[in-house]
Amino acid sequence: MTKNKSQNTISRYERMKKTSTVHLAMEYAKSLKEVVDDFPYNPESMYFFYDRMNAFLDAENTDLANKKVIATSCIFVPEEIIYALGAIPLRICNGAYSYDQIGAEFMPAKACPLVKSTIGQLHVNNFPMGAKPQLIVNPTSCDYKKKMPEVETASEIEFYTLELPATKETEASKSYWIQSIDAFIKKLEKTTGNKLTRKKLKEAINLVSQAQQQYRRLHTIRKQGPVIWGKDVILLSNSYFFEDIRKWTEQLEKLNDELEVRVENKQYVVKENAPKILLTGSPSIFPNLKTPVLIEQMGGLIVADEFCSSNRLLYDTVAVDEWFLYDMIPALADRYLKPCTCPNLTPNTDRDRKLINTAKEFSADGVIYQAFAGCQLYEMESLRIAKKLEQEGIPMLYIETDYNPDDLGQLSTRIEAFLESLKAKKSKTQIA
Amino acid sequence: MNKIKHKINLANISRFRTIIQILSFILIMYGGYAAITISERIPTFACPYATGSAGTCYLIAMQHGLHITWADFASYRGFGFYTGLLIFLAWFIVFNKSWCGFVCPLGSIQDWITKLRKLLGIAFTKYDSKLFKKLRFIKFIVLGLLILIPLGMSNSLFGLPHFSHDLGAPFCQICPGRTVLPLFTGSTSELFIDFANNTTIFMSTLGIIIFVTFIIGSFFKKRFFCFFCPMSALQFLFSRIGLLRMTKVGSVCTKCGNCSRVCDIGIEQIAEDITSKFIVKDDCMMCFKCVEACPENDCLKVSFAGISILNSTDEGFFKRYSDSKTFKIDTDSKELIDQKKKND
Repeated sequence: MTKNKSQNTISRYERMKKTSTVHLAMEYAKSLKEVVDDFPYNPESMYFFYDRMNAFLDAENTDLANKKVIATSCIFVPEEIIYALGAIPLRICNGAYSYDQIGAEFMPAKACPLVKSTIGQLHVNNFPMGAKPQLIVNPTSCDYKKKMPEVETASEIEFYTLELPATKETEASKSYWIQSIDAFIKKLEKTTGNKLTRKKLKEAINLVSQAQQQYRRLHTIRKQGPVIWGKDVILLSNSYFFEDIRKWTEQLEKLNDELEVRVENKQYVVKENAPKILLTGSPSIFPNLKTPVLIEQMGGLIVADEFCSSNRLLYDTVAVDEWFLYDMIPALADRYLKPCTCPNLTPNTDRDRKLINTAKEFSADGVIYQAFAGCQLYEMESLRIAKKLEQEGIPMLYIETDYNPDDLGQLSTRIEAFLESLKAKKSKTQIA
Repeated sequence: MNKIKHKINLANISRFRTIIQILSFILIMYGGYAAITISERIPTFACPYATGSAGTCYLIAMQHGLHITWADFASYRGFGFYTGLLIFLAWFIVFNKSWCGFVCPLGSIQDWITKLRKLLGIAFTKYDSKLFKKLRFIKFIVLGLLILIPLGMSNSLFGLPHFSHDLGAPFCQICPGRTVLPLFTGSTSELFIDFANNTTIFMSTLGIIIFVTFIIGSFFKKRFFCFFCPMSALQFLFSRIGLLRMTKVGSVCTKCGNCSRVCDIGIEQIAEDITSKFIVKDDCMMCFKCVEACPENDCLKVSFAGISILNSTDEGFFKRYSDSKTFKIDTDSKELIDQKKKND
């Protein structure tokens, strides 16, 4: 009897694995179609990134199969250290509804869909390009992430908890974070069998800095005119999660060159008076580009976002005064903590200032604040942010959503109404 | 004009500063041999105890100038003090606190000791913020004493008897500039303990202790002495009226802390303070390393008499802090993979 039962469970797991792969493929195809085919004026150089989104599905591509891969589950993991120790970071924050449904079996019903889908992905053990992560580095950022290692899935990959302070303001929190990083380095040295050297770390910092330079350049270009859809920027940022960093930087440089020509020729993707949106809150990760795609289908343009999966990903820099480990490691630690505007930090007034400043710099007409159902941190901050933005005269729309496509109708109505109100306000001020 | 500005924003200011430091070190330390005298009231450590000095530190003149009775403040002797102060201010206003960062020979020596430490790969130390906040008052206390003691020699302060004349120019007696700078003209004449009486024994012993602390301290801590320097404190009192200015636009700041990390003094407020426009703090020496390290466009700005001369830019940041060469050499992924593919 018992034997039979266990056979049944195995088959159930196998079935789940199979169906999820099929569902994932469908989800990807649908999302890609929406992102690519339904929009005009996609830059030529974007097609590299569109194609790469299939990396999850492409069984023939085994670029990462024989490499040391370290999975990361949050923006707080210093990827420079992973590169310096001869491994490749792979961010496993997931946006797939098919994985969300698997993860739902392990988590409370109202849990954050991002963590649920990451759990789902771990359970079916599917990583892009044949990657077999040796370790999952999991920072104690939000509560769901914190408890993720305790969820028992079929995954046998070891979790490493990267301890994160609850604030960044105090001296104690800063030294705690540096100690955390030091412990992380020791653990990673053991896992990879390599030793962290001055030369390697410097190279790694430079490597990421090259990507940063191109990424910042992209945003300078975006400030000059609406030459690229926001959904494209979000998508290409997502591809940074798994793409070879050098290739990614090269392709982004190409895209930037193309966009600069567009700026010169004033080839805009929308009319200049289209409502400009700053998107913030819980991160949209491919294939869950529901909100950004809706906004732009309705005639808005996302000029910037404040997601940990895109704009915040490569924005903050590392300045080292003396290129020795004693200065490089604290400098790296600072990059990840000090300018961070993650709502798990308290107080998080830097986020208010950052949003206001970004809205002004990118001349956004309004802010759309997305919170995933179950993501308490972003939900809780929404009221304060709305108030701060109101004081600056920036309208904000708060939407609560998840990975389920059911709420599309409701969302589109609300977003459309918001965009219309922005348009009305714009034409009013133009007349005045 | 914009092109020149753009170039300056991308420039390596620290290298420029090193050159200026060397040139002004030569001028101030050895200019006297070529009969150059800049002024007797310059706002930096040009020490007349070093024989080739091309000028005199204003602290000496000020201590002597204050060695007068209250009544004298209204006489020609007081007039001498006032004109001295005005000359000092005239020099100071032009360059503001960058006298410390670009000119001061004692400061340059500390920077060179730092370079030596870097060559040896030895880590520096930093004060934690609590200690920093406590220690920063020392320079104001030293400044207060160097004003009060000369006054107390000619007047009775708070009913105390007049101080001993052996306390003349009290700061000079303990100043590391007096002990260190003559070494560069080959003279060790200031390294002694004066056994004339108790006061001189005390002051000269203190001077030697400070000399040793200076050497050791500045090896492990960047710009160790500047943190306690009364000249820095005196300059800060007038820093707001300087023509050379450094300002900050707090709303653009992400508090990433790049500026405070590269700061030789370790001023944290430069990153933390997002409300003050005038960001030159009491310990600042206007070396502009923070402007170099700031990746936010136009967050930190340097201007002279209202004309902007240097702004922080992300382009400049990456030019200074990211080494594209290292990136190009280390392409094991692409080239090696291509090679491997060929071999396969």
